[in-house]
Amino acid sequence: MKKVFALVLSLVMVLALAAPAFAADKTYKVAMICDSSISDGGWGAACYNAMIDAAAINGWETAYSDSIDQAAYYDTIVSYCDLGYDLIYAPGNQYTDAVLQAAEEFPEIAFALLNGGANTPEKAVNKNVTSLLPNAQQIGWIAGALAGLMTETGTIAFIGGMELDTTKGKYAGYAEAAAFVGQKAGKTVKTLDIVYSNSFSASDKGIEFAKAMIDQGADVFFGDASAVDSGARQAIDAANQAAGAIKIYDIAQPADILGQNECIICSQVTDNSSLVSLSMQAVMNGTFGGEVIYGTLQNGALSAGRISDLVPAEIQEQYKAYLDEMIAGTFMQ
Amino acid sequence: MDMNFVTNLILASVRMATPLIFVSLAELYSQRAGLTNIGLEGLATIGSLVGFMVSLLTDSPMLGVLAGMMAGIIVNMIFAYATISLCAEQIVYGMAINIFAPALAAFIYRIYFGSGSSLVQVRLMNTLAATLGITPTNFFSKLLLDQTFMVYFAYALVIFTAIYFNKTKSGLNFKAVGEYPKAAATLGINVIRTKYLASVICGALAGMGGAYLTACYTTTYVDGNIAGRGFIALAAVIFGRWSASGVLLACLFFGFCDALQIRLQVASFGLPYQFFQMIPYVATVVVLALIGMKKAGPKSCGKPYRKEER
Amino acid sequence: MHKNRFFSVLVPLISVLLAFLVGCIIMAALKANPGTALKALWKGAFGSTRSVGTTLSRATPLIFTSLCACFAYRCGVFNLGGEGQFLMGSIVCCYVATQSGITGLPGIILCIVAGGIAGGLWAAVPGLLKVYRGQNEMIISIMLNYVATLFMGVIYTNWLREGSVPQTMSVPNEVKLTKLFGLRCTSAFVIAVVIGLMVYYFLFYTSKGFQLRAVGLNMTASEFNGFAVKRYILLSFIVSGVIAGIGGSAELLGTQFRLINGFGAGYGFDGVAMALIAQLHPLAAILVAIFFAALRVGSTTMQAATGVPTSVSEIIQALVIVFTVAGLAMVKLPEFKAFLERLFPARKEA
Repeated sequence: MKKVFALVLSLVMVLALAAPAFAADKTYKVAMICDSSISDGGWGAACYNAMIDAAAINGWETAYSDSIDQAAYYDTIVSYCDLGYDLIYAPGNQYTDAVLQAAEEFPEIAFALLNGGANTPEKAVNKNVTSLLPNAQQIGWIAGALAGLMTETGTIAFIGGMELDTTKGKYAGYAEAAAFVGQKAGKTVKTLDIVYSNSFSASDKGIEFAKAMIDQGADVFFGDASAVDSGARQAIDAANQAAGAIKIYDIAQPADILGQNECIICSQVTDNSSLVSLSMQAVMNGTFGGEVIYGTLQNGALSAGRISDLVPAEIQEQYKAYLDEMIAGTFMQ
Repeated sequence: MDMNFVTNLILASVRMATPLIFVSLAELYSQRAGLTNIGLEGLATIGSLVGFMVSLLTDSPMLGVLAGMMAGIIVNMIFAYATISLCAEQIVYGMAINIFAPALAAFIYRIYFGSGSSLVQVRLMNTLAATLGITPTNFFSKLLLDQTFMVYFAYALVIFTAIYFNKTKSGLNFKAVGEYPKAAATLGINVIRTKYLASVICGALAGMGGAYLTACYTTTYVDGNIAGRGFIALAAVIFGRWSASGVLLACLFFGFCDALQIRLQVASFGLPYQFFQMIPYVATVVVLALIGMKKAGPKSCGKPYRKEER
Repeated sequence: MHKNRFFSVLVPLISVLLAFLVGCIIMAALKANPGTALKALWKGAFGSTRSVGTTLSRATPLIFTSLCACFAYRCGVFNLGGEGQFLMGSIVCCYVATQSGITGLPGIILCIVAGGIAGGLWAAVPGLLKVYRGQNEMIISIMLNYVATLFMGVIYTNWLREGSVPQTMSVPNEVKLTKLFGLRCTSAFVIAVVIGLMVYYFLFYTSKGFQLRAVGLNMTASEFNGFAVKRYILLSFIVSGVIAGIGGSAELLGTQFRLINGFGAGYGFDGVAMALIAQLHPLAAILVAIFFAALRVGSTTMQAATGVPTSVSEIIQALVIVFTVAGLAMVKLPEFKAFLERLFPARKEA
């Protein structure tokens, strides 16, 4: 067997020598890792587009690995580090441990952790990790206020991907904003307990979750589970079709995808590209390191997307008024 | 626990059992001819991807299912050639198919859909109720009419299979190949041909089961959407004791467990949901532990058949 | 006999070449230069000491599962449950490592021993059902893989969960295995190689090992010779489970440190495939595992450098398995032997 391998390996080496050498490039390079697919019509797609947009503005080269297992996060990050990438972009709190481990081994490489914890940058010994932290409570508010205004059954639902702190924060903001807005409109709004798909790719699970929650009376949905959300939207569309009218709604995130499914009434939009772009500029200026870049309604990183015609004009007015309150910091005060 | 919960649970069980029925019947035909094929997961994966792509291109879910079927047959011919003609170890080869087919599917998906980040969705097959223009309102009309053609086909296939294996001469011959291939050969049955035929049926049904997921269930395709259904189907064949009706009941039971598990999660039930997902596998081990070896399936399963030894 | 050995080397070699040939054709069809792509693959796997360390660390769990498969198959039984035993080992190891509070070398030894025992017990289930109920050990061990995977899910989403992400707490630093030369590869690799050498010595240089192989070659004859066939089968199953369980512990203490989704996924089947390609030779199994790990590690570099997706590397790996298993079956066919006789009639006289 040893001879076999010697032969195979030497063959590979001969082929390698015959090949032209790598061209040396001086442009900056960013790599993204993602556990869902980048064509999931949700989180993965939005984060990928954020990287592409930011790279286009700053003239960076991009690469990505998607649909990777949790057990392979670290390996994938390290292989990009080995290739001399300047910035590793990890869009999700779940990559924290893998990023911290790699950041310790590669002090010269910058790591941007979207939805990273506020204290994660301090934990990095080499001060080369930045958390890009959209405000989860405000994200929840943006969706929750509209859900509270639109619900007729008084029951709304949230499908989570993993039991992450940011997901819990979004859920809490969603539930409290909906309850508050509902109370103002003279109705009680109950949010069903959060369910977790524990997967960002099982769209069939999204279908079944949504059906079960519709059975419990939920008529507005929000979530952060990527492809699972697309499954939920499919089930909502089917339920609306069976009922002959669009009575069950979905609020999308984090990109404006109004029109992708007919049940989508609005999208909570997170401008991840501005956050990614900020970290790219920090890398180019040599100022990268150890900070938290917040994304809020106030600095424009968070917003509400286009609103569908399914939302009556007066509710749109009320909703915009609430959004203004949120920006002014007077919401629920 | 109200009536609505129960009826919706039953509807969900039927929905989740259908792909299992196709894939389990695939395994049943294969094992009845003495071929234990654990490559179902791979066959269903390739069937699902090809089905998705074809229904995307032609806008016809039906053509998608047919294409998924063809893809299943083609990939299963690799298994058939290696195990029937080359007498390779069946389980090992099934495993090889399980490694090969998903890799191929991931590759094709990546190349065809490239690095686009837009969500690709296909049209699903219409239900009978939608075709007839009826709006199902009560439980029975939902159960009986609000189903796609594929669901009726699955149940028809179960009935056909039950009759075929028990009442027809050809079916008895087919079973004989799985039990005593040498004796079958002396009776003039073409053992090799029967085994190849079984592999064609197995590939077709497994591919169809995979294509069902993208033609009748989800509008999108994601890598790994088969999610262990191939092995649950394998379990269903054993749990259903190698009979068509038994396989049907096993699939419905496993579908029920899955539907229940989802609903208990929504209802914030205390026990970890993974315990419900274990039921098919644990049930299979228990069944195998309880029944004797003599009743454990077609006797020539897993054994290569060589003409020369006749 | 000599001819058999010749083919046992030739078949995997040809399979590897064929698989790479198909891979190169695919790369060319993608308008990538196969040479550049393969160079990137090589560079990613063995290009620097760091990448060699990564490759060896990725190979380590595969070595354990392929040794696990080798051992059982040498006794004529198929253990397709390597993955389940690997996971059960890592689960118990995780429990002991995080809950016992014993640290340092005694802690490490305790963790690994506990993992090994758990793997062995998990393997005993199909072993017992095989020996006493005559059931198909392959099907049962496959089913138990899923039970173990789901049970691990309970552990990391519920029982030993820490923090917001579904994962267990990390094992304490004091029980983590030492890194060799500061690379990713840890002493787990050394353990794997030592176990490989032990299996090799046992199988080929001890009388028990000889008897075990005799049972594997011909069960009926061994029974006739008075070997305790049933006991050998059960023990070979258990030992093979112990090897996998130790592997799971070593992977946890050396590389992953916590149980998470996807831990050990696919290693069991990979191990069986590698054992077959290695012709059930324990030392060859180590090399085959390193070869497959190299393909995996290098493929990320290949994708980043040339745009050839990692799934091409997966296809190459799958084709090596597909070709080898078919090829090995083919050379055993009487037709093939007859064909060779016709082709080289002189050899018979020589």
